[in-house]
Amino acid sequence: MWKTILRRFLVMIPQLFVLSLLIFVMAQFMPGDPFTGAITPDTDPARIEELREKAGLNDPWYEQYGRWIGNALQGDFGKSYTYKMEVSTLIGERALNTFWLSLVSVILLYIIAIPLGVLAGRYHNSALDKTIILYSFITYAIPTFVLALVFLYFFGYKLNWFPTGGSVDVQYDPGTMGYFWSKLYHMLLPAITYAILGTTSIIQFLRSEIIDAKAQDYVRTARSKGIPMRKVYTRHIFRNSLLPIAAFLGFTITGLLGGSIFIETIFSFPGMGQLFISSIGSRDYSVITALVMLFGFLTLLGSLLSDIIMSIVDPRIRIE
Amino acid sequence: MMTKKKWAVASSLALSSMLVLAACNDEENETTTPEEDGGSTEENADVGADFGTDTTNAEDAIEGGTLKVALVAESPFQGIFSWTLYEDGYDADIMEFSTNAIFETDGDFLATNDGIASMEVDEEAKVVTIKIREDVKWSDGEPLKIEDLMLPYEIIGHADYTGVRYDADFKNIVGAEEYNAGTAETISGIKKVDETTMTIEVKEISPALASIGAGIWGYAEPSHILKDIPVAELVENDAVRVNPVTLGPFKINKIVPGESVEFVKNEHYWKGEPKLDSVVLKVVSASSIAVAMQNGEYDLAKGFSATAYDQIETLENIEILSREELYYSYLGFKLGKFDTTAGKVVMDDSMKMANKDLRKAMGYALNIEEVSDVYYYGLRSRANSFIPPVFSSFHNPDLPGYTYDPDKAIELLDAAGYVDTDGDGLREDPNGQPLEIKLATMAGDDIAEQITQFWLQNWADVGLNVTLATGRSIEFNAFYDKVQADDPEIDIFMGAWGTGTNPSPMGLYSNDAPFNFSRFATDESQELLVAIDSPEAFDADFRAEKLLAWEELMAEEAPVIPMNNRLELEPVNKRVKNYSIDYTTDLGLEDVELTAEEPIK
Amino acid sequence: MAKDKKDKQEVVSSPPTGMQVVIREFKKDKVALFSLIALVVGIITIFVWAMFIDQTELMRVSLREKFAEPGSTFWLGADQGGRDILGQLIIGARNSIAIAIAITLITGVTGVVIGLVCGYFGGWIDNMFMRIIDFFITIPQLMIIIVFVTIVPKYTVPIFILIMSLFLWTGTARLVRSKALSESKRDYVNASKTLGTSDFKIIFGKIMPNLSSIIIVELTLNFAGNVGIETGLSYLGFGLPPTTPSLGTLVSYANNPLVLSSKWWVWLPASLLILLLMLAINYVGQALRRSADAKQRLG
Repeated sequence: MWKTILRRFLVMIPQLFVLSLLIFVMAQFMPGDPFTGAITPDTDPARIEELREKAGLNDPWYEQYGRWIGNALQGDFGKSYTYKMEVSTLIGERALNTFWLSLVSVILLYIIAIPLGVLAGRYHNSALDKTIILYSFITYAIPTFVLALVFLYFFGYKLNWFPTGGSVDVQYDPGTMGYFWSKLYHMLLPAITYAILGTTSIIQFLRSEIIDAKAQDYVRTARSKGIPMRKVYTRHIFRNSLLPIAAFLGFTITGLLGGSIFIETIFSFPGMGQLFISSIGSRDYSVITALVMLFGFLTLLGSLLSDIIMSIVDPRIRIE
Repeated sequence: MMTKKKWAVASSLALSSMLVLAACNDEENETTTPEEDGGSTEENADVGADFGTDTTNAEDAIEGGTLKVALVAESPFQGIFSWTLYEDGYDADIMEFSTNAIFETDGDFLATNDGIASMEVDEEAKVVTIKIREDVKWSDGEPLKIEDLMLPYEIIGHADYTGVRYDADFKNIVGAEEYNAGTAETISGIKKVDETTMTIEVKEISPALASIGAGIWGYAEPSHILKDIPVAELVENDAVRVNPVTLGPFKINKIVPGESVEFVKNEHYWKGEPKLDSVVLKVVSASSIAVAMQNGEYDLAKGFSATAYDQIETLENIEILSREELYYSYLGFKLGKFDTTAGKVVMDDSMKMANKDLRKAMGYALNIEEVSDVYYYGLRSRANSFIPPVFSSFHNPDLPGYTYDPDKAIELLDAAGYVDTDGDGLREDPNGQPLEIKLATMAGDDIAEQITQFWLQNWADVGLNVTLATGRSIEFNAFYDKVQADDPEIDIFMGAWGTGTNPSPMGLYSNDAPFNFSRFATDESQELLVAIDSPEAFDADFRAEKLLAWEELMAEEAPVIPMNNRLELEPVNKRVKNYSIDYTTDLGLEDVELTAEEPIK
Repeated sequence: MAKDKKDKQEVVSSPPTGMQVVIREFKKDKVALFSLIALVVGIITIFVWAMFIDQTELMRVSLREKFAEPGSTFWLGADQGGRDILGQLIIGARNSIAIAIAITLITGVTGVVIGLVCGYFGGWIDNMFMRIIDFFITIPQLMIIIVFVTIVPKYTVPIFILIMSLFLWTGTARLVRSKALSESKRDYVNASKTLGTSDFKIIFGKIMPNLSSIIIVELTLNFAGNVGIETGLSYLGFGLPPTTPSLGTLVSYANNPLVLSSKWWVWLPASLLILLLMLAINYVGQALRRSADAKQRLG
């Protein structure tokens, strides 16, 4: 299997390469550049032209691309024009925020989805099942931004239960317990929103797994041996049905990345999604290209992860 | 959303230096309170007039306390805490708490002798002499040296400096170009005379020197800290990003990058120890700020948008302060091209907008008054001039400007031969050809979109067929790209300028200025512009007279029609005492006090 | 976005099913039947109604009517430009639905054709397209679409549809390919081949009808996904041009907490409409899926 994983990684390289070419060319076509925003009556257009020249923005795109890819291979994605710092440092800060937010979201998501899916499957066709199905349909149908806005307003502004922006309070020193709690507190509302919106597929998947499992021979056998139903569930059905859920992790990660653009923008959470939207506005090419590359890489990683988990869980599936 | 922010950046680059300059000012020039002059007087519904610039809280203050400041922004701040290096307007707002400009200014933003440093201009010798006070200390206790004032010039002029401030103004300093090119070790025009005095030799004497322009730099940098850091690495250095040493009433204690800053008082502050213990500043999005103020989460909101006025109008726990902004928005007409090789504006009589009556009619057709009223609650008003009312000595409230008068617009168009010949309700040009005028506007929030639609309707009402260039409002970056490139798709455009503290229109309207977007340049206007910035113009009356003549010319030719001036709002919690946003106030941040332990809810 | 990945695994290959199965399934599932009827009636109403609305007149700003409350002049009130919400809702819904249909059809046709061709022929054609599809799956679509939107010089509805279609055809293609692959190994295909039937006829005359139920399910769910993506992009400001009414734009007014809390008529109807639309499509899609999959059938 290690061989196949390695091969998958090798296949990624040309994919990422084409992606980098695509995004780089597209960035070239974007109107304006980071210096457009610096125009005031007091700025000297000649100076701006000089800065463009210095930054290499006047070179043909393939030269710029060559320079960029060369550096990128060494982990240097250039400097952010707006933030005046290494792109890697800048994204690093935000990526960490997004990472923690995603982690909390995934945990909450499983906490919500697993019991609901199990209950719906166990009491298949009951009123409870129908309610859960309705819930999962509604969360599927409701647009991310609507739920996020309503939650922000209701829990953030109206009830004042959660902070309405930022990632941590400035008073706390990194490393202390207060800092940790403050971070978690800031993440909670966006994470809950994320989690609620992401539950649909897991609930439905788990539900149909359990319905299927109930009809399986091993369950019948266990039942006929007189093992109480509760035990059958915890010992057999639950374990068998739950494993494939792990495979969803990869897709969940991909989903979270797309959703982060909405959630982080609405909750003013300084993560990668928000950075992307603001970089589009400020024409911060180096950040845009680096972010797209990173998201592309993570998407690939997500699907690879899914395949790996799947093949561990179910040896019948071989990753090719 | 984003475009709004970008515009804020563009305008506050110029604005911000002024904000700090104005933050603490001495006795004189109390005579001018910007709110009372011109511009807005014709508006009846002007709510701005109800607001003061100072808090009225007279209760007994508590000892110390923490001031909670909200910085209204849609994206994180950049965190470059040096006036020499920063670019983002939000950083400027933050530095307002921790820094102190070295010159104080009066109501016209001219340097006075009451600040940390004083300036003297020798017009004959073309030498500016700058002296600093003794006993001024940096926030780390080091005394301020004259080298600290010389350092910014050495940074800006350095070959490795990548900011926008190495510009034509800076090159006005003798030896700046040689230093930048690396042919000289130092800037030959800048000399240390003794421990508290320096001189700067300039190439041209201009009244802008007194506005702390034309090469003069208004801030000091701590040379004992920064001296040995290579210029190329400065902007990423902790001495700029994390623990900058400053001259202001507060010093930065802790930073969450891009989100919030905690300041503590600077016990070495030269005007005396601040009364507050600390200040906590946080970035808050425009959509949450009103509710946050209502919930008593913050004491002040910096950068509050006037369009959200209705959200705070009725709040009981806050007081609203306001002041005129250094800003005007305008309608520009493309009258020529910029010849980039010659670096000159070339007018072209065959342009669609070359008829000045057409231009005037378009100005009269706009119902700016109603928009100001409904969407801006009178916080914006029809601008009558290119000099915002804040410049009390130079702004002329008597200029008529273009007020809403559709009948006059129709009359002008009829007389100029723009009549509807084919009966479709739209006017044709004097040759009987269909006339379609293409307007470029910047994309903004949803209100901006509706206002654009309203302008198109206004013009349609007088029979003009105006459509949007590219079919939609144009995103900020693309807008300036197209306007500056004289895109043939654009006939007219709507933009705005933050004017900075120097009222000179030279950089925006002279015959060699690329920012002269309308490409209007006649000998007459050029002569007046040169006169406005000539050495004679050190005499304010002379300058005002030439400015007026130029403004009258511009009103008659109408290549650009000023649209709005605006008021800046700042909601302040009622527990805050002795806080003022007046440009000429005596109150500094060191005087601010609180009268309750927590913001009032 | 996560949602369009929604358990496609569930769609298990099955013997072809006829119209009767679908009808029977809908008869059994009242909610799905109701959804289907509501969806059809609703969409027809919206399209017919929209024909009677003069869009220029509707989008005419009248400042004095800013945020007019629901009443006799404006049944659902007015937005901040004093423009009728109800009218915008109808036109906006028409636009969103029409765009979603257009994207669904374009991506559907492209995806099905490519999928069938790849699955049937295999070999280098299959290899080439699979590489392309693999690549498209790598890219963060939402981000690339946003970048694309900012670089288009003249932005119109057809261009928006094309941009979206460019990125969204791959899912269908992949699914159809895998089905076609197993289908083309069946006896009836081999029999046709030996009889000398042309490849074109086999692909579109034999294989495609057998996959029709899966294709229909896929298209229905794509349709819901496309409504979601369109409104989402419009919400972020990267969707339809602002002068074109859109459901996403109406919801985006709720970014202003004042509108969110006290001007419900501006954003709530649009939000509910999106919700109901998605819900209905989903119920219909589920019913269709069940009829395509014998194991899950209710009746």
